[in-house]
Amino acid sequence: MTKRMRITTAVTTLALLLVAGAGSASGSATVHHPLYMPDVQHVGSPALQPPPICCIPNPGVATGLPAPGNMAYFGGHVQVAPKIYLVFWGWGEPGAFDHSTPGMPSYDPDGAAARMTAFVRALGGTTWAGVQTQYYMTNANGTNTYIGNPPNQLGGVWYDNTTPIHDNLSGLELAQEADRARAHFGVTDLANSQFIIAQPQKYNEAGFNSGAGYCAWHDYTLPSTYPGVTPGISFTNMPYVLNMGSSCGQNSVNSGYYTGRLDGFTIVLGHEIEETVTDPGAEDVVNGTYYGGWYDLQGWENGDKCAWVGYTGGATSPSSVPGGLGTMTGNDGKSYPVQSLWSNNSAAGTGYCAGAGTNLPVTG
Amino acid sequence: MRKRVVCAPLAVLAMALLAGMAVASTPSVTITSPKVGQSVSLRKTPVLGIAGTAAFATPAATNTKYYLRRDGCGTSNDNPHLSVTSGTDAGDGCGLTFAIVGVGSEVDHGAYVDYPASDGLPLTIDSSRNITGVIDLEGIQSASAGLVTVDLTLEGLENGSGVTVGTDSVQVLMVPGQTSYPVSFSFQPNGSVDKNDLAGIDLRIYIHGPYINSGFIANSGASWITLPTWSASFAQSVQVSLDDPSFANPIAATLDPSGWTAAVRTPAIGTHTLYARSIQGFDVSSVASSTFKVTR
Repeated sequence: MTKRMRITTAVTTLALLLVAGAGSASGSATVHHPLYMPDVQHVGSPALQPPPICCIPNPGVATGLPAPGNMAYFGGHVQVAPKIYLVFWGWGEPGAFDHSTPGMPSYDPDGAAARMTAFVRALGGTTWAGVQTQYYMTNANGTNTYIGNPPNQLGGVWYDNTTPIHDNLSGLELAQEADRARAHFGVTDLANSQFIIAQPQKYNEAGFNSGAGYCAWHDYTLPSTYPGVTPGISFTNMPYVLNMGSSCGQNSVNSGYYTGRLDGFTIVLGHEIEETVTDPGAEDVVNGTYYGGWYDLQGWENGDKCAWVGYTGGATSPSSVPGGLGTMTGNDGKSYPVQSLWSNNSAAGTGYCAGAGTNLPVTG
Repeated sequence: MRKRVVCAPLAVLAMALLAGMAVASTPSVTITSPKVGQSVSLRKTPVLGIAGTAAFATPAATNTKYYLRRDGCGTSNDNPHLSVTSGTDAGDGCGLTFAIVGVGSEVDHGAYVDYPASDGLPLTIDSSRNITGVIDLEGIQSASAGLVTVDLTLEGLENGSGVTVGTDSVQVLMVPGQTSYPVSFSFQPNGSVDKNDLAGIDLRIYIHGPYINSGFIANSGASWITLPTWSASFAQSVQVSLDDPSFANPIAATLDPSGWTAAVRTPAIGTHTLYARSIQGFDVSSVASSTFKVTR
């Protein structure tokens, strides 16, 4: 047994012990809220912390630094063959944007939808998405199935201009839209599917609009939390992050006004997508059943642990910091700004943020 | 009264020309073959030759002058921006404020201001001529002394991506007692953007160096940038579509001095409609159509 394997096993064992303890302690209680990606100013905000796993106080984490400690497996499924469905809800509906750009479609004047679509189409098979392949789910027979990194992970794109949208959407409305997308695409393999509900400039989710301090969140539908919605849907609330400017990533990798204008879309979307791959059940706990996949003992998922690492407000390049914001070279040969993802295998099994071209010298 | 009605459009045109704005002339297109109502034999004509005329505006060298404007001072949206029109700015006297630093040291404040263009778009750049302008630094405290560097980066939006149009760096020596420093600049655009159509323009200004006390970039017409441009785009094309007015799968026509030509497989027996449109830069002509009949 290698040192790395011993550490992983020890952490997993501890996690399972905590799971068992939490399960009995929580009884029939439901532990739930969406898993937020805080913006740059709210990385340590208590209101945006993940739900407690058990009994370890969450110490928070400083902006610009990784959250230390390896992730553990909590027993839920992971997306071993991810399929990502992009839903651009209401982008073509009246009032969705307050501006136009010559040469750009009226339903996407900033090119954000095109950028997100290209990003998802290009992420399959990349080194960045490959960080995920070290994580697995344990089957009923005790065997492990590892996450794959297939070249094509884009399940489909849907511009839904039929269902009326409005501003200050609720989480339930987003879940309902994800359910409509499930029907639209005819998805039956929910375990490996995730739905990105991307919102246009003028119609966004209420919490995002209110300045709660997050850029996006992902969640999982259960009858107790999203009544009336098909259970088992993994979905992401993806607001128009450009509305929050540099707080949600604008110019955080590329400095030019236009060159870096859309940085936040791929950074935030990538964060949510890969968290959903490793934790599609979004840490939900119902009646002692853990739906969550991989996260650390503070409840941080692989994206949370590396969010905004290296960010200094433009004073220095985040790419100069190990594990910092960087770029993913897509399978189309183009570069996309991304954050790194937590890798238990990095730093000889101690774990570190990896995959964004900013790895530590020692990687696993 | 009648005289005024006649003169008003001329005055507007003259003002536009004076301001250096591109006076867009919408491209046009016609279909000369097949003619409306023409019969085409499928057996004799398996491939249908189609043709027409197209007219485009001739690009002429011009200039586009932008003023640095600011809507407010300390509001939630001060909105520094470029505009082809000038006026009194509510945010004048505000904006970039120099921090107090020691003489003789180089301090990187990391403070820059973006001025994205709010109008006058799109633009077609002429990189054979220089970009010129003035950044007017005003309100400099009289005790200021030292070398100030004004870095300018002009970025364009081309096909949805940012491209560097050009950069410049100008130094100015601040001396005690002087409060006004109009900083002139002149630099050539990158050759890579020559004759390219830009959907957006942003001027980033970064002021740094060893100086003391405060100042601001003056607005209300005092700071401006003039871009060498063309009055029309060099990107000219004609698209053809058979039985589909939405041009979902357009066929590119070949342009020649006398018009345009294209060829399509002759469609099935019945009545069909051919659609054509011409495109110059971001301008699209009205759609021309010709309904014809295919016989055996």
